[in-house]
Amino acid sequence: MPDPRANDAPALAPRPPGDWHLPAPYDWRAALAVLLIGLALIWSAQRVEVDRMLRLTGEAALAQVGLQEESQVGRGLGRMFGALFPFVIEDRQEVARLPNLDRDALPRFTRIETIETTRYVMNSETLQAEPVVESKEYLVHPFGYLLKVADKMVETFEIAVWATIIAVLLSIPLAILGARNYTPHPVLYTMSRSLVSFLRSMPELIIAMFLVLGYGFGSIAGYLALGLHGAGFLGKFYAEDIEAADRKPQEALTALGAGKLRVLRAAVLPQVAPAYVAYTLYILDRNVRMAAVIGLVGAGGIGQELKGRYDLFEYGHVGTILLAIFLTVFALDQVSARLRARLIG
Amino acid sequence: MARAALAQDGGGVQPHLSFAHLVRRFPDGVRALDDVSFTVPKGQFCVVLGRSGSGKTTLLRSVNGLTELDGGTIRMGDMDMSDATLRAIRRKVAMVHQSFNLVERASVAANVLSGAVAEAPSWRVHLGWYPARLRARACAVLHRVGLDEIHLPRRAAALSGGQQQRVGIARALLLDPEVILADEPVASLDPAISREILALLRDVARERGATVLCSLHQTDLAREFGDRIVGMRQGRVVFDGPPARFDAAAEAALYGAAEMPMRPAPHLIEEPVYA
Ligand SMILES: Nc1ncnc2c1ncn2[C@@H]1O[C@H](COP(=O)(O)OP(=O)(O)O)[C@@H](O)[C@H]1O
Ligand SMILES: [Mg+2]
Repeated sequence: MPDPRANDAPALAPRPPGDWHLPAPYDWRAALAVLLIGLALIWSAQRVEVDRMLRLTGEAALAQVGLQEESQVGRGLGRMFGALFPFVIEDRQEVARLPNLDRDALPRFTRIETIETTRYVMNSETLQAEPVVESKEYLVHPFGYLLKVADKMVETFEIAVWATIIAVLLSIPLAILGARNYTPHPVLYTMSRSLVSFLRSMPELIIAMFLVLGYGFGSIAGYLALGLHGAGFLGKFYAEDIEAADRKPQEALTALGAGKLRVLRAAVLPQVAPAYVAYTLYILDRNVRMAAVIGLVGAGGIGQELKGRYDLFEYGHVGTILLAIFLTVFALDQVSARLRARLIG
Repeated sequence: MARAALAQDGGGVQPHLSFAHLVRRFPDGVRALDDVSFTVPKGQFCVVLGRSGSGKTTLLRSVNGLTELDGGTIRMGDMDMSDATLRAIRRKVAMVHQSFNLVERASVAANVLSGAVAEAPSWRVHLGWYPARLRARACAVLHRVGLDEIHLPRRAAALSGGQQQRVGIARALLLDPEVILADEPVASLDPAISREILALLRDVARERGATVLCSLHQTDLAREFGDRIVGMRQGRVVFDGPPARFDAAAEAALYGAAEMPMRPAPHLIEEPVYA
């Protein structure tokens, strides 16, 4: 507000400019803080073996370009990556274990494969190992496992969507109570902020473990756990944006006699909406990734499948699952980027 | 002199706004209002003139309760301002702000309709779906302030300063306020636009018989648009009279660099005319 006239307010006793105190950009306390943080990081680097991490990584890099024979990291990871390929997409089941299989009317796309394996069996009389040819029949669905993974992935996505819905629904009241300028009472403010911090501090894996005890294995524990943890994020971000929103339009509507909820709707929501969309899409994205993880404790979705295959050393299946997760997250990223651009643009 | 005559007519009727011994102290000891008393008759365009920091904003904001007072009373019509009457008063008082105070990301239409945010049914406010009567009124006031249908869906931030203030005036007019408070409505606009906006404000208020309390810091604009000028300095009223009486001496009293006597010269105050 350029104002040509001098200020009319009664000021402090004026001093000549030579005596003025110009505040320094930073003081000794800031310098000390930087120094202490540096020392703490050096101390911590030894505890978490940063030096060893760097040495091993360096060796792996040298081995890659052929300057070194081999490296521990390269060997371990290499074995694992090797095992992931080729991705398994077919489904095969032993016919002997499918008593109800009607050979004349096989399920669609499936075929029966016979595989002969030679085993050496010790003949107890001759004490010689003799070859025994065994043939096993398998019912093979050429992309059966892919379909199963897709189905699990859809379930995972559903868990993520419901978790996001729960997080948003919990966060809206928590954010209003937890915004300093809109809370009906300071006690409610403190309670809301504490609850939100608590929810955020509880890892979803742990929440899911507890919920599995109550709700049993399956997706309920999954989306409740992710929803509660997500509310710990959204409740904080939503509230902080309400507090930081431009006060001027809020004041304009307050001056017209509008109550707090109406001011929130008409003057705050339009300001915070783009950020809210961004946060919510981020939580959805995170929920898809985390839904894959919490399956590890039996809370439904693709994680449950992943854990099963990993425990059976079926790394080819693990590879397919990891690829499916990556593709889903990637696709979601594209969609949400477009959505954000449209809603914010 | 037509304007002065209009102002004088107001002297006979009951005052629309009356301020009695208003005091506002800030914790740092500044007296933003220091025993301010005057009355404004219905339909008057009353300019509050003074340089930055003289207490104009504090005075205007005390009318709709955005600033609390440490002493004194405000009456509007037959209502004494208190916590109990605040809501009722706010619904009859609209405000036009120096920095427009629009929701910048919202459309022009939404900004104008938000003028009815306290009146429309709650579910309509929350769905953003205002009644047809209000939507029709929003179009009418937007047309009145000189905007067009093409502006309706535009973001407020996409308009020029002058256009934004037109939207601010349209929002203020939506519910036909009795009193319009305009706090330096043109301080962030260039001189030519400032004149257009003040003329618009004066005309729409006159059409509706609304009383205007408009703060300004430019003497020329105050002389041109005010029915009356109330001059403030350091929280006190140091001039009160029609623009014709706002002479060089009055201007010096208001803006003079020399330390002012704590009480204004009695001849500069025209109280009897407006009481
Ligand atoms: N919130 C506040 N806290 C402390 N001092 C304030 C506050 N608001 C205004 N003041 C002081 O009150 C005086 C009057 O301010 P204001 O009413 O804004 O004047 P004007 O609108 O004429 O520029 C000024 O000295 C200003 O510094
Ligand atoms: Mg001001």
